[in-house]
Amino acid sequence: MNRVGVAMFAMAAIFSVAAPFMLKPFGIYLISMWAVLTVAAIGLNLTLGYAGQVSLAQGAFVGIGAYTAALLTQAGCPFVLAFLAAGLLTFAIGWLLGYPALRVQHHYLAFVTLAFTTLVFLLLRNEQWLTNGIYGINGIARPAFLAWSTAKPLNFYFFCLGTLVVLSLATWWMLRSPWGRAFVALRENPTRAASLGIDTRRYTLMAFAIGSSLGGLAGALYAPLVQFIEPGSFALNLSFNLLLMVIVGGSGYFFGPFIGALVAVLLPEWMRVAESYYLIVYATLIMVMMAFCPSGLLGLMERLLQAAARRGQLTPALRAKEAAQ
Amino acid sequence: MSAVLEVSNLHKSFGGITAVNGVSFEVRHGEILGIIGPNGSGKSTLFNCVLGQLMPSSGEVRVDGKRTTGMRPCDLNRLGVSRTFQLLQVFPQLSVRDNLILAGQEHQGTMYSRLIGRADAGLGAAADHMIQFFELSHLSAEVAGALSYGQQKLLDAAMAFMAGPRLVLLDEPAGGVNLSMLAHLRKRLQAYHAERSAAFVVIEHQMEFVMALCTRVLVLAEGRIIAEGEPADIRRNPLVIEAYLGR
Repeated sequence: MNRVGVAMFAMAAIFSVAAPFMLKPFGIYLISMWAVLTVAAIGLNLTLGYAGQVSLAQGAFVGIGAYTAALLTQAGCPFVLAFLAAGLLTFAIGWLLGYPALRVQHHYLAFVTLAFTTLVFLLLRNEQWLTNGIYGINGIARPAFLAWSTAKPLNFYFFCLGTLVVLSLATWWMLRSPWGRAFVALRENPTRAASLGIDTRRYTLMAFAIGSSLGGLAGALYAPLVQFIEPGSFALNLSFNLLLMVIVGGSGYFFGPFIGALVAVLLPEWMRVAESYYLIVYATLIMVMMAFCPSGLLGLMERLLQAAARRGQLTPALRAKEAAQ
Repeated sequence: MSAVLEVSNLHKSFGGITAVNGVSFEVRHGEILGIIGPNGSGKSTLFNCVLGQLMPSSGEVRVDGKRTTGMRPCDLNRLGVSRTFQLLQVFPQLSVRDNLILAGQEHQGTMYSRLIGRADAGLGAAADHMIQFFELSHLSAEVAGALSYGQQKLLDAAMAFMAGPRLVLLDEPAGGVNLSMLAHLRKRLQAYHAERSAAFVVIEHQMEFVMALCTRVLVLAEGRIIAEGEPADIRRNPLVIEAYLGR
């Protein structure tokens, strides 16, 4: 990370700790939602941004994680165990969902994962004996750790932020290891990757499983955050929203999901001043953003920094020549 | 000298078209074998069958005596078989150094030990040596996509050697490379061969390159071997001249 990156990271860290003290409860709820959805978007960024496997199933994994945590905690299971169970279950399902990715790619894979999201939605809605169907699950308690309760919004935000930091560090460690390089190889050229001894089958399944697991862990945080879950929250809309976060922030950039989730969670709220037009304004902004920076906001920032650095290296004579052209 | 690669009666058909028709040959340890032939003679299909990219219709491939027919490319690579492709296949978004580390990392420990081990999989020094060997030191930190075509060709070849293979199959290494870069590439390949005595199989159209590099040459036409011998004999062989120029 260069000096600009370190400075930005430090500012973001200070802001994320200081911000909730300046916000009302709804504001704290929103930044807690940002932290939760960032975890899910980090998972999708791993699957899509690094390993190149298109997935429209991340919302479904958030749902599976949320229902797992809600059902287990309401059955008396400690939150920590419910949290781990959500991660493990979604890891296993994500691994299985990775098998179609060994046969189909790109938009065909998108349709496979889209079908999976629909299937999960139908199961959550129709299997009333387990999920309570369209009535959802109410009164999901926020966890307590020894004497520290997260029932208050501020405490729960710091719990979500802490979890985000731990999971981000774990993902960063993985991406800086040879696994990260193998995932990029898988995305850029699987044929060449295989010829270099990379077991593309195992890495594809692992990318799906770990990405899905992060979705499940985000779901386990989502349930106590909103304290009421129902199937509609985890339909295709959420998967598209998570995809939007990854693309807008910058697919394949480590901090892309952080920025993307900020845009996708906060921008619609700021747009509410436009009242009934806010969705139109929001959609237009997204379209303009995608047209002018398809590599996302971090991609745009990288381009601008490179251009600035290049201009700094140019001699006055070369600069005059470039200006003339 | 024993054979590192044995190909026996290999056939590959696509529908009604037979691309490889009963090809048999062997590559001995430390040998540089050239495979030449006109376009469409089945050279790349033969490579892809040997290297697990395509399943042969029939026939057998053995590496160091072990049957490898239909084996996955990643498993073959771990047996010490490496390759380059006809078209450039570097990873453009990774640096030159990371491309080389990637090319060797799967030979270090297990998948899980690599997750908790060093970021460079313990290959930093080996990658730097390879960068120096191929005279790419000034480009070590550059992303591969920013390199010229010739430099990417050098990197592509260097990647094939990174895991210290016993057998390297090079598919048109000289394709699209200018003459000065070509001489440089040939010298690097010869130097690596002298240093490690790995066996090479080289598919190439550039005759001067083949004649200068290879110790033995096979000629393919319409999926069959029509001639085999030392480069000087092959150059004079009337069957070869006919295959290239027609009657």
